[in-house]
Amino acid sequence: MINKLYSFLLITGLVIFSTSCDEDRLNLLPEQSLDESVAFSSVASARAALNGVYSQSQLLEVFGAQPHTIEDYMSDNTEFVGSFPTLQEIFQYITTTPNISIQNSWQVHYRVINGANLVIDNVANISDPAFNSDVENELLGQAKFLRAIVYLQLVNQFAHPYTLNNGASLGLPLVLQGFTGQVEFPARSSVAEVHAQIVKDLTEARDHLSAINFNQGPARASAGAANGYLSRLHLYRGEYQQASDFAKLVLDDSNYAPAADLKFYNTQNSEWVFVVGMTAVDNSRTGSGGWASYHRPASQGGRGDCAFSASLEAAFDEEPGDLRYALSDIVTAADATMRRMTLKYPDGAGNSDDAPMMRISEMHLNRAEALAQLNGVNQETIDLVNPIRVRAGLTPWALSDFSSKEALVDAILNERRKELCFEGHRRMDLLRNGKELREGNPSSAPGATRTVLPIPQREIDLNPNLEQNPGY
Amino acid sequence: MSMKQFLFSFLVLLLSTSLTMAQKTVSGKVTDSAGEAVIGASVFVKEAPGIGTITDIGGIYQLSVPAEGKTLVFSYTGFETFESAITGGVLDVTMQEGKLLEEVIVVGYGTKSERFNTQSVAKIGEGSIKNRPVFSTQELLQGQAAGVQMVSSSGLLGSNPSVRIRGAASITAGGEPLYVVDGVPLNDRSMSFTQGGGTGLNPLMNLNPNDIESMTVLKDASAVAIYGSRGANGVIIINTKKGAQGKTDINLDISGGTIAPTNLLQMMNTEEFDSYSNAYRSARGLPARTFPTDYFDWVDGVTRTGSFQSYNLSANGGNEKTKFFVGGTYRADEGFTIGNEAGSLSGRLNLSHKATDWLEMGANISISTVNMDRIGAENNTYAPLTSSYLQLPFVLPTNADGSYRNTGFIQNVIGIEALNDNKIDNNRTTGNVFLNIDLLKKEKHSLQFRTDFGMDRFSTASKYRSVNLFDPGGLGYRSDVSDNKWLSTNTLNYRYLVNDKSTLSFLAGYSYETSRYLSNYMEGRDFAADALRNLASAATPTAISEEGSEWALESYFGRAEYNHNGKYIGEVSLRSDGSSRFGADNRYGTFWAVGAGWIISEENFMKNQDIFNLLKLTASYGTSGNDRIGDFSSLALYGGGVTADYFGSPGIRPTQIPFPALTWEETAQLDLGINARILNRVNLQLNWYDKTTTSLLLNVPYPFTTGFGSAAQNVGKMNNTGVDLGINVDILTKGKLFWNVGLDLGYLKNTILELPEDSKDVNGDPFLNGVSQRAVVGRSLNEFYLVRANGVNPNTGDFEWLDVDGNPTTTYSAANRVYVGSAIPRFTGGLNTRLEYMGFDLSALFSFSYGNFVMIDGLRFTDNMGSEGFNHSSDLLDYWKQEGDNSFAPSLSSSTAPLFNQRSTLQLQDGSFLRLRNLNLGYSIPQSLLGGQNVIKNARIFVGGQNLWLLKNKNFRGPDPEVSANGPNNRVQGESFFALPQARVFTFGANVTF
Repeated sequence: MINKLYSFLLITGLVIFSTSCDEDRLNLLPEQSLDESVAFSSVASARAALNGVYSQSQLLEVFGAQPHTIEDYMSDNTEFVGSFPTLQEIFQYITTTPNISIQNSWQVHYRVINGANLVIDNVANISDPAFNSDVENELLGQAKFLRAIVYLQLVNQFAHPYTLNNGASLGLPLVLQGFTGQVEFPARSSVAEVHAQIVKDLTEARDHLSAINFNQGPARASAGAANGYLSRLHLYRGEYQQASDFAKLVLDDSNYAPAADLKFYNTQNSEWVFVVGMTAVDNSRTGSGGWASYHRPASQGGRGDCAFSASLEAAFDEEPGDLRYALSDIVTAADATMRRMTLKYPDGAGNSDDAPMMRISEMHLNRAEALAQLNGVNQETIDLVNPIRVRAGLTPWALSDFSSKEALVDAILNERRKELCFEGHRRMDLLRNGKELREGNPSSAPGATRTVLPIPQREIDLNPNLEQNPGY
Repeated sequence: MSMKQFLFSFLVLLLSTSLTMAQKTVSGKVTDSAGEAVIGASVFVKEAPGIGTITDIGGIYQLSVPAEGKTLVFSYTGFETFESAITGGVLDVTMQEGKLLEEVIVVGYGTKSERFNTQSVAKIGEGSIKNRPVFSTQELLQGQAAGVQMVSSSGLLGSNPSVRIRGAASITAGGEPLYVVDGVPLNDRSMSFTQGGGTGLNPLMNLNPNDIESMTVLKDASAVAIYGSRGANGVIIINTKKGAQGKTDINLDISGGTIAPTNLLQMMNTEEFDSYSNAYRSARGLPARTFPTDYFDWVDGVTRTGSFQSYNLSANGGNEKTKFFVGGTYRADEGFTIGNEAGSLSGRLNLSHKATDWLEMGANISISTVNMDRIGAENNTYAPLTSSYLQLPFVLPTNADGSYRNTGFIQNVIGIEALNDNKIDNNRTTGNVFLNIDLLKKEKHSLQFRTDFGMDRFSTASKYRSVNLFDPGGLGYRSDVSDNKWLSTNTLNYRYLVNDKSTLSFLAGYSYETSRYLSNYMEGRDFAADALRNLASAATPTAISEEGSEWALESYFGRAEYNHNGKYIGEVSLRSDGSSRFGADNRYGTFWAVGAGWIISEENFMKNQDIFNLLKLTASYGTSGNDRIGDFSSLALYGGGVTADYFGSPGIRPTQIPFPALTWEETAQLDLGINARILNRVNLQLNWYDKTTTSLLLNVPYPFTTGFGSAAQNVGKMNNTGVDLGINVDILTKGKLFWNVGLDLGYLKNTILELPEDSKDVNGDPFLNGVSQRAVVGRSLNEFYLVRANGVNPNTGDFEWLDVDGNPTTTYSAANRVYVGSAIPRFTGGLNTRLEYMGFDLSALFSFSYGNFVMIDGLRFTDNMGSEGFNHSSDLLDYWKQEGDNSFAPSLSSSTAPLFNQRSTLQLQDGSFLRLRNLNLGYSIPQSLLGGQNVIKNARIFVGGQNLWLLKNKNFRGPDPEVSANGPNNRVQGESFFALPQARVFTFGANVTF
C-alpha cells in the first residue's frame, strides 16, 4: 500500500507539475496578424497600412478589370461571349438586384474606402520619432487620392450621370471615417455631394503630394494623377473650363509624355499618369482572374468573355490601317465562336498586366474635347489630337476637316473610343454627352434604369436607410 | 440508516454467524465476461439456501460450506444465475450478463450499466457497423440513432458531411459534435482546400470503421455537461475494439464491389442544342447561328462504374493479465466519377496489461494514411460532373490526333483528369497511453486513479500541378497542413457500495489539452516541360505562405452519482473550462447538469405484472458550451501577406473587428425520457427535449459600407425542441427464426428566438441575411427566402412568378421574395430489420428525411434559356409553343424567357426522401460443410448493397435530395450547385474467423 501511495503521489505530482494552471498557457497570440494597436505605431507600419489600401484596390472587383469590363458590357464596344450569368444579365439589360458580381464589387470598393479612412484617421496617432510633416503629406496625399478615385468609380457605376440633372440623382453613402465597431446605416448622398467630396479629396491629395514633390512612378498616387482625375471629373460634369485647365496642368507636367508607339501597355512608360501595378506574384487574381482573363482566350490562360462588338469593328473599319485595331487578334471565345479580342492585356496566365488607370493621351483628348466645347473648331484641339492619330498610323487632321463644333466633338469622341477602348471609358463618355449606350436602344439612354447598376439587394436588406435606384 | 440498509446488514450478520457451523471453506473470484470483478453478487449453497455471502469490491467471496453442500449458486441483477459444483477450496466463476438487460454503455470519462443510466444516449454497436462498405465513419450514424441527422454533402469520396445531434445548437460557431476516440477528442478543423462547394474534405476520413467496437452518441445535458465548452453539439464517443481473455481469434474480412451513380441529369445533345438555340434566336429576332455538328456525351465521358476492395485482418485475445487487439486494413476506392480515387491503409494496436492486482497500463494506438486523387465538385468548372453538365455538346475533348484540347472556361475535365495532378495525402496518428492504479479496494470502497496521455497528430499534403495546355507555362502548388494535439487527462474514481443495491460514486478530473496548427503553401508557374512535376522546376514562384495558430483548453470536471436500491438514481456533473480562444475577461466558463432516474418497475406495486420488464423515467437539465470559433476572434487584427502587399512593398490591412467581451455561448437543455422493455421483446426509448442556446456566437452581417462583411458577437437566442424515439422489437426469437425490427425517429423544431435588431425583414422580424436562406426570428435557422415560381401560363406562354400577395406576375423582382420553407427536416431517422434463419442472415437499413427543402443552384445555369456559353437541361425542350400547352419553360419569344432561370422556387426542391441505405444478405457456412478441420472457426459469405432504392418527390429536379455543398456550415444547409449523387454500391465479401 505504501508503494501504491508513492506511485500515486509521484504521478500526481508529475502531472500537476507538467500541466499546472498557468495563465500563460491560455494567453495565446496570433502569429500572422498584428493587433490594431500596433498597426499605426510606427511610420513603417503606417506605410504598410497604406500599401494594404493599394493592395485591396488591385482586386478583380475594384481596379482588377471587373468594373471596367462591366461598364464596357453596358455600352457598345464589347459583346459578352462568356458564361457568367451575372455578367450576361448586365449585358442583356435585365440586371437583377441580387447580382453577386455587383454585390462583391460594392463590398470591395467599400473595403478599400475603409482602409483609406483608417489611414487618414490614424496618421495623427503615429508616435514615432521618424514621423514628420513630410510623412504626413505622403500618407494623407495617397490615402485621399485612393479614396477619391474609388468613390469616383463607384458613383459612375451606381448613379446616373451628373449631366442628366446637375447631380440631383441618388449618389452613394459617403463614409469618411474608419470603422471602429459602431455600425452605421448611412443613406445615399446625391451625386453632386459625392462629387464635391471627390473634388475635395483630390485637391487636398494634390496639395499634400506636391508639397513634398512626391513622385514614385505611375504605380503610386501623384499630384499629376490628382490633377488628371480632376480633369476627368470636370469633363464628366460638363465643366469644360476646369476640365481643360486641369488637363493642361498634367500636359505641362514633365513627368508625363506620350509614348512613341503602342508598346507602352504594362510598362512604366511616361505615357502613364497612373496605373495600379500588377505583377505575377501580386495581382488581382482572386480565382476569377484579372484584365487578361476577360480579354484572352482559354488557350492563353484567360476565359475569352469579351469580344469586340460589331459597332467597334465598324468604327475601326472606317479608317483602315489603324495600328490600334491591329492590337487585337481573332481567338476562340468562351462560347466556342471565333471572335476578335484586344491584345492590350496579354498575360492570361500570370495576370501581371497593370490596370490602365490614366494616361497622358487621355489628357490630350480631355483638353481637346473641352476646348472644342468651349471654343468650337480650334487649332489647339487639332494639335492635341494629332499626335495620337499619327501614333496610331492615321493621317493627321486639319482644321478644315471640320465644319462645326458638333462634328469636331463627335470626331474626338470617336477617336477617344478607339484610343481608350477596353480601358473602361466608353460608358461614361456616352452618358455624360447624353448619348445612348447602344445607338437606337431607348433602354440604354441616359437616365434609363439599367444604364446604372442596382444597389446590391443584400445592402438594401441590411440597411433600412439605403434607397434603391428607381426602376429596380 | 434506513430500514432496508439495516435489514441488509442484519442479513449479512446472520450469514456471518452461520459460518461458525461450517465444515469447509470455499473462496474464489466472480468476474464478468470482460474479466471485471462482479461486486455484490450473492453466493449461496444450493443445498443449504440459508448459507451465503456477497462478493466484495474485488469480486472475491469466501464461504464456509456445510458438509451437505455440493453446489454454489451465484446470482446478481442483470446476470444469468449460475450454478457450479464445489470441487475444491477455490472456485472462480465467470458470470454471463443477462441478454439486453445489462448492457454497459459508454459515457463521458467512464461506463455505466444501461439499466441504471439516466443520461440520454444512443449506442451504435458492432452489429450495425460491420460489413457496411462506408468510406467515412460518419456515414454509420445515418438512420441508426434517433435525433442524429447526418447529411452527406455529396457522393464524392471523402466528402465532408454534416452531423447534427438534436438540431444545430449554434449559428456561426461550428456545429459538429465532438468526436472522442478512446478518450482522445479529435481535431476536426478543415485540412484541405475546398475545390468547389463550401467545404474541404472530411477531416475524419482517417478513422477506420473496421476498428470501431461501438459509437455512443451523447445527447442530453446530463451526458454532455462533462465535456463543458465542447458539449453543446453533442458528443460521439468511439470505442475501438479491445482484446478479451481467451483463445486468440484471427478475423479476416474481405469485401469488394462496384460503385455507380444513382442519378445523372439529362442534358441536350448537339442536335437538340442546335435546333433549340436557333428556335430561340429566331423567336427573339436574332440571326441564326451555325453550330458545329460534332457531339460528345460529356456526362457519359466523366462517369464510370467504379469499384472498391477492402481487406481487413485483425486478431484479438489475451490472458488474465494481458489483452490485445491488433488490426490492419487496406482499402482501395475508385469512385464513379473519373479522377476520384482513394487508397487507405491503417493499423491499430490496443493493448492492456495488469502488472499487479492494483496497477494496469496500456495503450491504444492507430496509424493511418489515406491517399486521394481529388476532383473538383459543385460550383467549379474543373469539377468533372459539374462541367459535364455545363459543357457545350459539340465541344470535343480531343483533337483528331487524340491529343487533349483546351476547351476554355468550361474546361476539358477529361483532359484535366488525364494530365493534371490533384492529390492529397492524409496521415494521422491517434492514440493514448494510460495507467490505472487501484488506490483503495477494500470491502465496499474502491478508489481508482487514471492518468491518460493522448495525442492526435494529423497532417495533410496536397499537390496540384496543371499542365501547359490548361495553364499556359504550367502551374503547380504544394500545401502542407498539420494539426497536432496532445492532452493529459487525470481522473480519480471513487465508488462506495452502500448495500447490495445502492451505490455512490464520484469522479473528479483535470485535463489540459493544446493543439498547434501549421500550414505552408507554395505556388509557382512556368515550367520547361509538363514532365517536370515539382515546384523546383518552376521559373516563377508566385506565392509562398506559412501560417501557425494554437489553442489551449484547461479543464476541471467532476461527477457524482447515487443509486438508491436500484430504483432511484441521481447524478450531478460539473465542468470548468478555460479556453485561449476567448477574450481575457471571459476566459473561464462553467457548465453543469443534474439528472435523475426512477426505475418504476422495481417498485413493489409493479412486482405483480409481467408486461414491463423494465420501466424507467429519466429527467435531466443542464448546460454546455461551444468553443468552435476562430482561435483569435476577440481581437482587432491587421493581416499582411499577398492581400496587403503592393508592388514589391509589404503591407497590412484590417481583417477583423475587435470584440473583447467575446464569451461563451451556452446551451441549456431539459430532457424527459421513458425507457421500457416490454414483454421481453420490445425496447422503447422515448425522449423529449427542449434546448435553448443563448449568447449565440454570431457572425453578424454588417452593411459592406462598414468595410467588413460581418463580425463575431454574442447575440441571439435559438431553441431546438424535439422528440427522439427508438423502438426495437424482437418479433421472433424462438426456434431457428430470428426477426428483429427497429425504428429510430427524430422530430425537431428549430426556432430562432432573438437576433440583433439592426436588420429587420418586411414583417419586422430580425434576420440574418443569406443568398437563398435566412435565419429569422420566429422561424428557423435555415429558412428559404425566395420569389415563388408559378409556372408557365398556358394561355400566354409567359412564365409567372407570384408577388408577395400571391398574385401571378410576369415581372421578376427580389421584392417578391417570401418565406417558402426550411432546409431543416421535421423528421429524420431510420428503419432497420434483421432476419436470421438456418445460417442465413438478412439485414436492411432505410433512412429518411421529411419536411425539408433543398436548393439546387446549378439549375439556374442549365435552365438559362438564352445562354450559348454552356449546355441546357433537356427539360428546356419542353417550352411553350401554342395556347393550352402545359409546358415547363415559357415561350421562346416571351419577355420572361431571359429571366426564367432567376433565383426562385424553380430551383427549390422537396428534400424529403426514403432510401434503402443498406441491404446485406449473408450465409454462415456450417461447420459440417467446412469439414472436420479445426482451423476455421466461423465463415460467412455475403452480398449487399448501398443506396439501392430511393423514394423522392416525383417532381424533384436535381442530382439527389441528400446534398449539402457547405458541409458542416450551420448557416447554409441544404444547398448545392450540382452535387455528385449518392453512390450505388454492390458488395460481396466474406468474414472468416480462425
